[in-house]
This record gives sequence, C-alpha cells and structure tokens, in this order.
Amino acid sequence: MSGISRRDILAAGAVGSSLVAARAFATPLDGTRMLPKRMSRSTFATAVKELQAIVGSDWVFADEESTVSYRKSFIPDLRGEHVPSGAVAPESVEEVQAILKVANKYRLPLWPISTGHNMGYGMATPASSGQMILDLKRMNRILDFDAELGTILVEPGVTYQQIHDYIAEHKLPYWIDVPTVGPIVSMVGNTLERGVGYTPYGDHFFMQCGMEVVLADGSVLKTGMGSVQNSTTWQAFKWGYGPYLDGIFTQSNFGVVTKLGMWLMPQPPVYKPFVVRYPNAEDVAKATDTIRPFRMNNLIPNGVLIMGALYQLAMFKRRTDIFNGTGAIPEELIKAEARRNGLGMWNTYFALYGTDATIAATEPILRAAFEASGGEVLTEAEMTGNPWFEHHKTLMRGGMTLEEIGLVRWWGSNGGAVAFAPVAPAKGAETAGQSALAREIMNKHGFDYAPAYAVGGRELHHIIFLMFDKGDDDSSARAETCINEMIVRFGEKGWCAYRSSVSTMDLVARQYGETNRTVNARIKHALDPNHILAPGKQGIA
Amino acid sequence: MSRHGLAHAFARVAAAAALLVAVSVASGTGALAAGQELGKVLPTRSPEKVYSSTCGYCHGHNVGPIIRGRGLPVETIEYFVRHGNGAMPAFRPTEISNTELKALAQWISQAPVDAKEHGQ
Repeated sequence: MSGISRRDILAAGAVGSSLVAARAFATPLDGTRMLPKRMSRSTFATAVKELQAIVGSDWVFADEESTVSYRKSFIPDLRGEHVPSGAVAPESVEEVQAILKVANKYRLPLWPISTGHNMGYGMATPASSGQMILDLKRMNRILDFDAELGTILVEPGVTYQQIHDYIAEHKLPYWIDVPTVGPIVSMVGNTLERGVGYTPYGDHFFMQCGMEVVLADGSVLKTGMGSVQNSTTWQAFKWGYGPYLDGIFTQSNFGVVTKLGMWLMPQPPVYKPFVVRYPNAEDVAKATDTIRPFRMNNLIPNGVLIMGALYQLAMFKRRTDIFNGTGAIPEELIKAEARRNGLGMWNTYFALYGTDATIAATEPILRAAFEASGGEVLTEAEMTGNPWFEHHKTLMRGGMTLEEIGLVRWWGSNGGAVAFAPVAPAKGAETAGQSALAREIMNKHGFDYAPAYAVGGRELHHIIFLMFDKGDDDSSARAETCINEMIVRFGEKGWCAYRSSVSTMDLVARQYGETNRTVNARIKHALDPNHILAPGKQGIA
Repeated sequence: MSRHGLAHAFARVAAAAALLVAVSVASGTGALAAGQELGKVLPTRSPEKVYSSTCGYCHGHNVGPIIRGRGLPVETIEYFVRHGNGAMPAFRPTEISNTELKALAQWISQAPVDAKEHGQ
C-alpha cells in the first residue's frame, strides 16, 4: 500500500485524490518475485492471454491498478511474501475447468478464494508470492432452497447477506448462522475454512451436506449422494457410501469447491439472549467449567462466546481512548474501562431458543449454576442498548454485523491484526493456562491480550486477536515474532491452532506431525500432480 | 423441558411457513423481481442496497466514520473502495462491480446526512 492516510485522501479532494491514486499506481507490478516462481514474463503473458479468452479481458487482473484490491490484508507481510501475480474470475464451472487446463499447461499456481475476506488470516492473499488468485466471487448463484428440509445449495461467491436477503424476501422460516463478518463473506469459504458461528448451528462444517469439487484435471466430483443418478438426497444425507470425502476438501488444496450444501436452522418461536458477567481475569476457569456440562447436554444449544474485556472494548474504541503509555495496558485500567461500559472482565454470551414454556423451564437451572460460579446473569431487561450486548444478540440469531472489524483499527488508522486460534478441551484449567501464557507472551512484545473463547461442546477455540500497527515496520516485526512465539510455545503444551494465517501455515502444519504431512502430500500429488492449486495452503506444497 | 411442546410449537411455525411459501409461489411472488432468483447471479444492485449491505455496517455504525452528507469527492470514494484503508477492506470489481461503484460513489457524494448514523 502507498502509506497514504485516509485523512490525506479526504483532504485532497477530487483532483488531489486522482493524483494520489496516480502516485500509488506508479509503482509497477514488475518485480520478478511477484511472478510465479520459475515462470518467465513471456510465459506469464501468454497464460494471461489464454485466461482472457476464457473469461473475457474484464475478468483477468494482471497489472498494478487492477490487482491492488487483492493485495490488501491486515496481517504483517514485511518481506512481500504474500503478493499475488494477478487474478482471474470465472463465472461458471466450465470456465473453472478451462482455467485449470491453462494452469496445468503453464504450471501457473492458482489460489482459490470465495469472497477473499478471510479477515485475521490474510484476506485474499496467497501462502506464497506469485500465485494467481482464482476469484470465485462471480459464481454467486443460490442454486436450490428446499423450504421443507431447510437446506440450501450455493456457489462460492454467495455471501451470507445474499442468503439473508433471500430468506427475508421469500419469508422462509429459517435462520442462517454467520461468522462475525457475515455480510461480506462467503458461506462456502467460511465452511471450507471450518469457521464457527453462534447459533445452535454454529459448527459450520458439521452442518454442511454435499459438495461439488472441480479437481485439478478438470473432472467434477459430487460428494455424498450427489453423484447418484436422479438423487433427491444430496443435501439431506451427508455420508454417502464408502469413504467420506468432504473433509479432505476443507482447509486443503486438493480441488476447487464450486457448490456446497448446508442445513439451515428452523426459526424458533422464541429467542432469548443472555450475558453472564464475571468481574476478574481469573474467572475464565469458572466460566468454562460452568458452560461445559450445559453444552454437552445441550441445555445451552448455541456456540457460546466467553469474551475478554479488551476484545470487547477494542470493537468500538481505540487504544488511545483508554491508555497513552507504552507497553501493554495495565489490567486495572482495562477492568475500570470495562466496568464503565457495563462489561465484566469476561462476558459469556449464550441464548435459549424454543417456546416461552421451554425457556422458562431451562432458565432457572442455568441461572443457578452461573450465579453459583460468581457470574452475574443479565438479559435484555437490563442490557438493551448496551452496544456489546446488542452485537451478540444479533450474532446469536444469525444477524448481519461487521462491528468486529473495529478491532483492526485499535492502534490507529493504519490498521493491523492477525489471529492465532489454538484449540483446547473445554476445561477451566486449560483456559486459565492458555490465557496466562498468551498474556505473558503478548505483553512481553508490547501488545495487549484481546481474547475470546468460542465453546463448541467438549472443546473450545481460543481466538486471540493480535492487534498491531501495520503502518509501523517495528510494530509489524514484533507482531510477526509474537505470533510465531505463541504458535511454538502453545504447541509445546499440545495446544495447536485449528486454522492459521497464510504467513504461518507451514509452521502450524509441522506441529501436526510428519506422518500427517506425508499423507497430505501423497493425496496432493495424486490429485494435483503439477501442484497448481494453492501450493502452501495448510502447509501442503 | 417439554420436548413434545417444543416439537409441536416448531411444527406449527413450520406448517404456517410452508403455507406461506405455497401461497407466495402460487401467486407468482416466489420469484420477486427485486432480489435474487434461484439459479441466477446476483443482479446489479442500487447504490442504496450496496450501501446498506456493505458500507453501512461500519460507516455511521460504531466502526467507521460517517461518509454521507459530507460531499466527499466521487474519485475519493472509488479509490477507498478499491484500495481499502487501514481497517477498511478493499472491495474488488467481482463483489462491487464497476457499474455499481460508479453509482455508489455518486450516491454517497450527494447523500444527505442521516441523523440515525453515528461515527467513530
């Protein structure tokens, strides 16, 4: 990026902004490191021409001006290791097949994206420079919606907003389950990354049913019941017959997923959101141990979030609103600011779904348990209007919000954030241990610990948002060192990430063991012998 | 917890909804022209719709600065959409088309202040 601030542009006005734009575009995209490895300029140009013949010249992006949107990310990239060579955007499966043929012919590496807003993990940028983005956003058809079964079949470019609008327009009695940035991201992309949400359908891959995959050789695989002649069961029965294949196309580079089926949650007659406030940092263990049995017996049916105060505050505030000193913000200041905003040091959000009678029967059991653990149980009666409660009330019913993007500008207008997401068993000692280790490492590098725990059932995802100043190379370098240290030291304790940024995929993959990597490598080589699909994705070459 | 009660209540909602769907299809409103039809790509959206589906979730809503009612230059708006800035993601022609962006930038530039919006 040019390093030009938002304020500069706003002040510049129409003529000024054109000049600024021209200056930014003056940097040519001719650094050889941005071309695919071992590919000459002329070969690249020939491949681009053939891609243009497939999708039209408007949908191949191979110069500085047209690729700039694909290069924007929030993660540290001081050495330009995640810079694409360009992008190509097909509108159909047939065009995907034709593109793969060209890619095989020229050994052109392709990095598939659905909508390319993988916020804390690198957005659209590839695992290594020189890959061409295979942008599937134009494939944005909702192909089927079964109003009796509550199933949907969509293409990769369909956003949660599109599905939300379709449901609203047709008054269908279903909810979707969204990640925290639902409006602009893809149901297919998030599910393939095994993302989570916050309704009872929060485990997205668990709710997935059937997919279509274009393999590197152009053949089209429909998983589960999808290849059965006259099948009516593709979105109803997950497992099909024989080995279950869907999993190998998630967090992988074994094929290009072009259709995906999902189950949708029937809209409940009554929905009641809750927050449980805990006053102290060490209370996370009590919160975890209280939630676990209710997630296991499903008395709490949804994906529960235990939100740390700083994660919450960073959504709507900047760091300088709270602290102007150097180093990490002192805990007492965070606690005081949280209290001023109606927050605890930990804020547990869950919801009940059903009828008035079922909720009335369940609520006292949960209240008693949380209150016995030292939590303060609050509902709309006390919290309506509190922006954090309203945010989670929206999320737990699958509503549209982008408010968590606010975290990215914690250090100021340059933005900067990268996520580290280790998993752990849902036990208090584990969350206490992870929080202590993360706080120690992050504070040592001068960063604030902004945590959230997403409790699935027997496990939880610890979402640590490392916020830094991307406009400051020193801050970026410390962020890179800090995230790497967290990955390594958490790994030593058996706590590994469920997903990672493009900058740390190899590091995390190594922690899952050599045999695992070898098996993945063998599958990769069998399905994609020229290694044209997303080399480096999840550490698979 | 009365699982039967819950099941009956869900069944009632589902039955009512099924009826609604049947009525809407029968009356020809199942393929409302305003939105997206099954099997078809998303049609070109109005600037108001692009704003409410993307920009308005941050700008004037706790996260981004207010951009309506400021007479921002069209070129500036287009630049920010394609480049992103700081915490603002970049949006590509595949998600906000060039035609949509042109109309959106004009609309934002000329839009009056919305008193309900609040910036950061």
